[in-house]
Amino acid sequence: MASSMRGLTQFIADIRACRVKELEEKRINKEMANIRRQFKDPQLSSYQRKKYVSKLIFVYILGYKVDVGHFEAANLVTSNKYTEKQIGYLAMTLMLHEHSELLLMVVNSIKKDLEENNEYNNCLALHAIANVGSNEMAETLGPSVHRLLISPTSPNFVKKKAALTLLRLYRKYPEVLPVAEWAQRIVSIMDDEDLGVVVSVTSLVMAMAQDNLDAFSVCYQKAVDRLHKLIIDREYAATYSYYRIPTPWLQVKLLRLLQYYPPSMDPTVLDVLQKVIKAILNNSVEVASNVQQNNAQNAILFEAIGLAIHLDASSAMVTDAAELLARFISSKETNVRYLGLDTMAHLAARSDSLYSIKQHQATIINSLRDKDVSVRRRALDLLYSMCDTDNAEIIVGELLRYLKVADYGLREEMVLKIAISTEKFATSYKWYIDTILQLISSAGDHVGEEVWYRVVQITTNTDNLQEYASRAVFEHLRQPQCHESLVKVGGYILGEYGHLVANEPGLSPIEQFQALHSKSPYCSAPTRALLLTTYIKWVNVFPEIKDHLVNVFERYRYVLDAELQQRACEYYALATRPQEELLQQMCEEMPPFPPRGSALLNRLNKKHTDTEDGRVWIIGGKEANEDQFRKGRKATVDTNVTGANGAAATSGGGPDLMSLADLDLNGPTGLMAAKPVLNSSPSIDKWYEKLCMSNDGILYEDNAIQMGVKSEYHGHLGRIALYVGNKMSVPLTAFTASVTGYNPDAVSLTFAKIPSNTIHPKTQAQHVIHIESKKPFEGAPILMISYLAGSLTSINIQLPLLVTKFFEGVTLTQADFFERWKLIGGAPREAQVVFPITLDASGGVDLVKNKKILTGHGFSLLLDVDPNPLNLVGAGVLHTSAAGKVGCLLRLEPNKVAKLCRLTVRSTSEEVAAQVMQAMQKPLSKNSAL
Amino acid sequence: MIRFILVQNRQGKTRLSKWYAPFDDDEKVRIRGEVHRLIAPRDQKHQSNFVEYRNYKVVYRRYAGLFFCLCVDSNDNELAYLEAIHLFVEVLDSFFENVCELDLVFNFYKVYAILDEVFLAGEIEETSKEVVLARLEELEKLE
Repeated sequence: MASSMRGLTQFIADIRACRVKELEEKRINKEMANIRRQFKDPQLSSYQRKKYVSKLIFVYILGYKVDVGHFEAANLVTSNKYTEKQIGYLAMTLMLHEHSELLLMVVNSIKKDLEENNEYNNCLALHAIANVGSNEMAETLGPSVHRLLISPTSPNFVKKKAALTLLRLYRKYPEVLPVAEWAQRIVSIMDDEDLGVVVSVTSLVMAMAQDNLDAFSVCYQKAVDRLHKLIIDREYAATYSYYRIPTPWLQVKLLRLLQYYPPSMDPTVLDVLQKVIKAILNNSVEVASNVQQNNAQNAILFEAIGLAIHLDASSAMVTDAAELLARFISSKETNVRYLGLDTMAHLAARSDSLYSIKQHQATIINSLRDKDVSVRRRALDLLYSMCDTDNAEIIVGELLRYLKVADYGLREEMVLKIAISTEKFATSYKWYIDTILQLISSAGDHVGEEVWYRVVQITTNTDNLQEYASRAVFEHLRQPQCHESLVKVGGYILGEYGHLVANEPGLSPIEQFQALHSKSPYCSAPTRALLLTTYIKWVNVFPEIKDHLVNVFERYRYVLDAELQQRACEYYALATRPQEELLQQMCEEMPPFPPRGSALLNRLNKKHTDTEDGRVWIIGGKEANEDQFRKGRKATVDTNVTGANGAAATSGGGPDLMSLADLDLNGPTGLMAAKPVLNSSPSIDKWYEKLCMSNDGILYEDNAIQMGVKSEYHGHLGRIALYVGNKMSVPLTAFTASVTGYNPDAVSLTFAKIPSNTIHPKTQAQHVIHIESKKPFEGAPILMISYLAGSLTSINIQLPLLVTKFFEGVTLTQADFFERWKLIGGAPREAQVVFPITLDASGGVDLVKNKKILTGHGFSLLLDVDPNPLNLVGAGVLHTSAAGKVGCLLRLEPNKVAKLCRLTVRSTSEEVAAQVMQAMQKPLSKNSAL
Repeated sequence: MIRFILVQNRQGKTRLSKWYAPFDDDEKVRIRGEVHRLIAPRDQKHQSNFVEYRNYKVVYRRYAGLFFCLCVDSNDNELAYLEAIHLFVEVLDSFFENVCELDLVFNFYKVYAILDEVFLAGEIEETSKEVVLARLEELEKLE
């Protein structure tokens, strides 16, 4: 690192000694002049250059403009000395913007440092890209950064920095990097021994996995496994203990990563995860006296509660957690109160029942008066989330009361939340209108346009609300003080529905007109324009005040505002036409608005879109969150745009753009996982076929590993023990095994334990898979193995698990056989195929082989059914847990002369018949006996 | 992710600023002022270490006369970042042997180098104090 530079220290001391700004500027100008002069000297030593560039950096940090030295900094970057290079890079990254053209000068130097076999220079180059990485750098340097990340020879520091540099490039320019292709290799680094590397690469995985859930799915298992190691096995290097807590940052990241995925279906993984969360909850019982330890512990605790809620909001674990939260929200520590309220809002967002939260309603309402605005805000969010029809009147009432004294920064959001809750949970129309009008009149300036659009929209669409709304809004208009938003609501509602109440005392047309028109002078032009529209509507329904109204139009014909003038002229002409048909047609009652999403919600959700780590829940009740998830996280931005357009359309009754709101701009979110590409070779096929008919044997072998299988089946249950041997003299790391390509409703496969991620040299690891056949299933599942030994190797092969594994032979007499054979009948419950066969060495049908195949697939041979000794007849029954037993009969009729063979399978299940036929045809047609 | 890191004294003079999201120079000046006005008047005893700022939130902690502020996404784990600040401060404290404001001023280039060992691209990079300090010692020896 740069050793001290005396000239620089002196310069800084000089500047600190300047007591007034002018002196400081003078000193800096003097120095800048000196530096300019020095830079002209071709003999300038590299030490001098470093010193002057350092001074420039200091001047820049002080906030002065620096327009020299870029070239010198670029020059320093190419230096052979670390300290000079470091200052050069610092100057580049601090003083240049990522779009600066000057950066192009250094791209080549960065590339050189990146590819050099010198870890310190690698790191400096990575820092530079991580700080100012541009689009161009992503394209030209992205692959090199990726190489440094995955290279087995990269030191830990290079790996960490490469991971985060890649993260920066990914966040800026995701399309430049082939992420799906890199996924498996990147995830495998989560098994690295160095926890610094793991925490960095986990950040990278978190960002990439959010957009590529399937490609990164293995990270789920890795995260669970790592948490188990840290929390339960307490397996970690001592230096990673932070106040006795194992690397809290990594734990928090892993717990968050798991929330990006839907809860795992694998009972083994889920079981481990539950143990982990339980252990975290238990650890929190003991409150540490040390602040750091306490904070670190709580950081993990709150994240774990979040995960528990995500997994199942109605689990016993969450009930326990809710009790903890209840204690937290009245804690003495402000941070804990804040986080308690925040997490409770998460619970409210997901929970089916708000009961446990409502018990603490009083405490939460009190938190609106907390000393800290941050806590008040959380209380507001929680109240909004826990609002329902039962408590809406109380909560909204409290919020309205609090609104008058609330922080200015909070008011706009409060107004939105009050408006939404009022609309959503109103038990009577009267209450809705009263509350909303009170809200508009008391919050005044903080009421966004969306709020009053929504009132109009709801009133228009609800027939029996219109009279009451007219009366209520008129009452507000009669007050001497009346906010402009209220005038707008009044203008619209009285214009449309004023005539409904015009016969009531005190509400006559002239009184309505006077109430509204007296507010006009204090209103802005758009509001006055709206009032003109109200007046033309009144010309139609209130002929008795037509003169007053025409008078107004008359006067407005001469105002300067173009919009007002035009409206006035048009309305004047319309009102003074002798025939009234046109007027009547134009002033027809507004048709109801088509149903649409609330613009208020869109407005509120907009707040939460600017985040790199996707939100796993939003403020609001369960319903709001379900909507959110259906849309998918990325969708929020798009829907906001359409929502905003839609809101604008409500105001003037212009062309209806609302149909846009229904457009789904996002397409299907759940991408189907692409089927993995199978490894294939004649040996793999041979091993597989052999295992289809026997329970034990070799499954796969190459230079590095060998895999064998031992299996057993009883009824509908089965068990495969998979032996993986490491043949090399180096350990296999980041080992992962998973099974895919099957329908989990028909057959379940679970590993008894999460496979250990290391296999030591010349040793064997055993992994047990439990299997249950629930219904007849198709094909064979795919076993996916991957491991790291220098580079990442992945092997995808079929697991010899066909439906026939769950067959048991049955013995039938000839009569029984034919009775059942006929009972089942032909297609579709019969599958039949004729295929060529090769004869054995002696030119005959290989009867021994055929028998072996039949019995290998679980059929009993029925010897006395068919008189032709070459023909074979078999019967078996398939065991399943959900679909019960399925019988299956089979006839095999080879024809020596034609070298053909006919296979007929009949079963009470069409699916089984077809599957059995498919499973047996291939081995039967082969020549060599297996 | 961390949007930016600011270290400011009680007068609002910024001693360290690191930006992980692009802001232009004028915006940076504005943010420095806004964050100072937001944080400095807050009560140390009765108020939390978190405060909302624009669409993000600032997690901060005061050490003697210096405020260490991290601006993070609104859904990030507050306490994890609060302790990340402490980790960084502990590293500075060991490295400068009882760090004070002047160390940050006179050794600004070292502070940036230390920062790059603890945080990178807006994320925490190394969580072990010992590992960072050993690395810094190694780098000090390079010419």
